[in-house]
Amino acid sequence: MLNTIVNNYLVNTKKIDPSLLENPHLRVAELGLDSLDLVEMLFEIEDRCGFQLPDPMRYTEMSYAEMLSDMESVIRQHYNGELPELMTAEAKS
Amino acid sequence: MGAITPLGANRHSTFAGALEGRSGIAPAAESISKWLPHVLTAAVAENPETLLDAKCAGLDRATQFALVAAHEAMAAAGIAPKPDDAERFGVFCGIGFGGAQSVDALYTRFFNALSGTSVPKKNPTIMHPLSVPRMMANAPAAMISMHYGLRGPSYTYSVACASSAIAIGEAYRAIRHGYIDAAVIVGTEAMLTPGALMAWNALRVLAKPDLVDPSRSCRPFSVDRNGFVLAEGAAAIVLESETRALQRQANPLAEIGGYGCTSDANHLTAGTEIEQARAIRQALDEARLEADQVQYLNAHGTATELGDVVEARSIRLAFGEAADKLAVSATKSMHGHLIGASGILEFVIAVMAMNSGSIPPTANLENVDPRCELDFVPLIARHGCAINAVMSNSFAFGGSNASLLARKYA
Repeated sequence: MLNTIVNNYLVNTKKIDPSLLENPHLRVAELGLDSLDLVEMLFEIEDRCGFQLPDPMRYTEMSYAEMLSDMESVIRQHYNGELPELMTAEAKS
Repeated sequence: MGAITPLGANRHSTFAGALEGRSGIAPAAESISKWLPHVLTAAVAENPETLLDAKCAGLDRATQFALVAAHEAMAAAGIAPKPDDAERFGVFCGIGFGGAQSVDALYTRFFNALSGTSVPKKNPTIMHPLSVPRMMANAPAAMISMHYGLRGPSYTYSVACASSAIAIGEAYRAIRHGYIDAAVIVGTEAMLTPGALMAWNALRVLAKPDLVDPSRSCRPFSVDRNGFVLAEGAAAIVLESETRALQRQANPLAEIGGYGCTSDANHLTAGTEIEQARAIRQALDEARLEADQVQYLNAHGTATELGDVVEARSIRLAFGEAADKLAVSATKSMHGHLIGASGILEFVIAVMAMNSGSIPPTANLENVDPRCELDFVPLIARHGCAINAVMSNSFAFGGSNASLLARKYA
C-alpha cells in the first residue's frame, strides 16, 4: 500500500534508517523533514493518485502511522472509497 | 522612477493604489484557471505593447515591462537616449525567471505541432529564430542598453525575490566606487504562465482564495495568512553620482544611504533572522544612521507561515527598541509578489512614501500574528508622517538577503 511508496522515498532519497520506520510509535516530526522534504514526499503519492494532498504541514503533528492512514483516507475520499489502480500496482511491485 | 504593476501602469497610479489599499489580486486567467481553478494572480491590466513602439511587439513580456518602467524613469529623470557620458552609464537589471512566457510558448508550440492535425503535419522542431534572444535572462538589460545607447556595463542579477534589490545595491556600489557615474536599474518579471503557476502551486506557498473576496487573499503578518499571490510587472529607477546630479542640476528624489547583503548558507526556502538582521544592520551602518532615525520599512512580507515570523524577528533584532516606533508595511498584500521585480518596486514605494509623508498599509491585516508584533500600518494608509529615511527588505529563496536604505537628499 501507501507505506511502500513513502518508505521508499524516505529510505532512498532522504536516507532514513529503515529500522526507524518499523517503530509503531514513530512521529513524523522525528523524521527530521523540513517543509520542502514534506512536499517532495507527498509528490511521490500525488504523482500516482493525480491530485494534491492538502496542507502538508499538518502531518508534522501526527504519528507516522496516522499520516499514512490520513493519506489513504484522503485518497479514498477522492476516489469514492477506492484506491486508484496505479497505487495498488505500485504497492505490489 | 517608473513602474508598471498590478496596481497601475506607472509609478503614480501604483503608489496611489497602494495608499488606497486597492488590490491587484484576482482569480487567474482562463489559461491557468482551467488547470488550477483556485489559483490567484496579480496581473498587469495594461498590455505593455500598447505603451511601446510597434517594433517591441515580439519581445518577451518581461522585457516589455522593463522597457515601459525604464522609459518612465528615464523621462522623469530628464535623460534622453545617447547621453554624452554613455560610456559611464550602466544598466542593472534584476529578474527571477528570465523570459518565462517565451519558454512556455516554445513548449506549447512544440506540443501543438506534435499533436496537431494540420496536413501536411508540421515539424515540431521548427522554432522562431529569436526564441533564445527573447528568453535569455539578460534580454531586458540588453534592450534598455540598446534603446538608450548606454555603453557602460549591463548586468543582470538573478537572485529570486532579491534580484532587483541587489541590482540597486550593486549599481550603488559601482557608482560609489567610481566604475560608473550613472545607471538605470530595472526589476522585471512576467511568469504568469500555466507551467510556472503549476510549479509554484506544487511548492505550497501560494495563497488560498478568500471565499468572500479573492482580492483580499494575501494577508502578510496576519494570524490566518497562507501564502502570497504571484504577480508580474516592473519598476525602474535612475541612479547617479552626486557630482553628475549637481552638474546637470537634477532634482534628486532621494539618496541611497546604505545597502546590506548577506547569505543564510542554511536552507533553500527558510530564512534566518541572524543573517536577515545582519543585512539590515549593514545598510544602517553604511548610512551611519541609528535605528531610530528610520521611520518606515517596506517589509519583504510574503505572508508565508515561516517567512513572516522570521522577518518580524529580524527587524526586532536589527532595530532593537527602535522597532516599536518603526512603521512597517507589506505591500505585497495589494500588488502581489513580483519576484525579481519585487525589491525595486517596494523600494520605489518606500521612497514615494518618504517624499509624500504617506505610508501605504498592510492590507487585509485584521488579526496580527502574536509572533509578529510590530506596527504594521494595518488596513489604512497613514498620512502626514515626517519621514527622513526608509528601508526596504528583500529576502530570497536560496537564502540571499538584501536591505536598502534611502534618505532625503539634503
